[in-house]
Amino acid sequence: MAMMPSGGGGSNQTANPYEHYDAPMVEDDLIDPDDATLDDLDDPINNQSTSDRAPLTGNISSSQAQQNSRAANNTGNYLTSAIPGEDRRAPLNTIDESVWDTLRRDMLAVWEKMRQVLYPKYLLGGMMSRGGGMGGAERAEGNSLAGGVETIRGIVGRWPDADTVLQGGMSKGLRDWDLWGPLLFCLLLSFLLSLNARDDQRSLVFSGVFAMIWIAEAIVTLQIKLLGGNISFFQSICIIGYTLFPLVIAALLSALHVPTIVRIPVYSVLGLWSLAAGVSILGGSGVVKNRVALAVYPLFVFYIGLDCLCFIS
Amino acid sequence: MDNPTPGTLNWRLSAHPITLVTFLAFRAASLLIYLLGGLIFTTNFVLIFIITILLLAADFYYLKNIAGRRLVGLRWWNEVNPQTGDSHWVFESAPQPNEPGGKLVNATDKRFFWLALYCQPALWAALAIVALARLRFIWLTLVAIALVLTVTNTLAFSRCDRFSQASGLMGSGLYSASLARNVGGALVSRLFNR
Repeated sequence: MAMMPSGGGGSNQTANPYEHYDAPMVEDDLIDPDDATLDDLDDPINNQSTSDRAPLTGNISSSQAQQNSRAANNTGNYLTSAIPGEDRRAPLNTIDESVWDTLRRDMLAVWEKMRQVLYPKYLLGGMMSRGGGMGGAERAEGNSLAGGVETIRGIVGRWPDADTVLQGGMSKGLRDWDLWGPLLFCLLLSFLLSLNARDDQRSLVFSGVFAMIWIAEAIVTLQIKLLGGNISFFQSICIIGYTLFPLVIAALLSALHVPTIVRIPVYSVLGLWSLAAGVSILGGSGVVKNRVALAVYPLFVFYIGLDCLCFIS
Repeated sequence: MDNPTPGTLNWRLSAHPITLVTFLAFRAASLLIYLLGGLIFTTNFVLIFIITILLLAADFYYLKNIAGRRLVGLRWWNEVNPQTGDSHWVFESAPQPNEPGGKLVNATDKRFFWLALYCQPALWAALAIVALARLRFIWLTLVAIALVLTVTNTLAFSRCDRFSQASGLMGSGLYSASLARNVGGALVSRLFNR
């Protein structure tokens, strides 16, 4: 039925059924290649290839899942359901993988995320890889200063530069979010901070810090989304959670009663490390350029607040 | 010796006994620790909180990644589209026996799985009411977290199961997926729409 133009055009009957291919009397479900989307190019008569009974090939691991999702996105949602989502058939070999494989894969993912989030490629990457291009402009500004101060000024001069912040992309490892990092670091931070509290306030400090961290993460995520960032809610919580690692170190030092004099420089470095890692998220989230400072500010407050908590502990 | 009917709640009939026992142990452990902590160790809230949260996280992870997969062949996860930042949920089920590559899911496994899946949120909800009644709001936060985690798993697996039910799976334990359909509704679709 869909193969031939039907209806209308009684006055245009010729031997060639496709003569009036572009005519308005052509049926709507005849595929016009110029307008075709991926959906339309499926054979409408024989739906076998897109039915949900056809076994889909592909690996269940996350690295393959993205490719699968783009191919299989159009086969989902044939069933009405209250929860929107995509349904798939699992290839049996991956759904039967051993427990150790699953654990190992997830542990490696956690480690990979920690590495990626906490390695301040914004600062060090800018100095090392883009020293020739980006730093050239900065170095030209700082030419009149002494050599040692120049590099520091180069970093500081680069700090509010929106282009550098937004050049970083969301790497593959960060896309597959998991909440292990936020959970563990949040628990550790709350626990370490509550160790030094007075006995009667201990549980209050613990639950207070715990609640504050999660609420602050939610607020920062909301703000990034409202400023036009293309980042998913869980992904952003995941990354902010992972950036808390330097603050966990700070809290650990507090719990070990490191003297106050040592705390000032060390905690500032740790706080700045967290902030640099947090700001690098913005690079992958596509926040509009002139709103970077707006997006950075709540992160800044968040890290400073936690740093101070560790400091006064 | 008469053959026990398939589907009776005897863990020896399971196809994956270790997985099943570990799964039930995790489920019970978080509940037990919370109850014991609330009754006995009320002064040391921090310790109970940490242990319960870790057990809840372990339970969630174990159920989602290991037990669901091995006991009933269902899996679900979330994928993020890197360009738009939209996340969408994917629900996957193993091929049914009447399809190529499929195998039959053990009836005992199925009953245990779905029973545990639906009982746990109910029990935690009861504990929430108890905590409210005793005006222990700080414990209520812990129960709230537990509820969120267990309800997420229950709904997600029910969603997976609805898909395989539509393709010809027989009864899945005491509760059918129609319960999930009633429980879900618009609230859930709003919850899962990121």
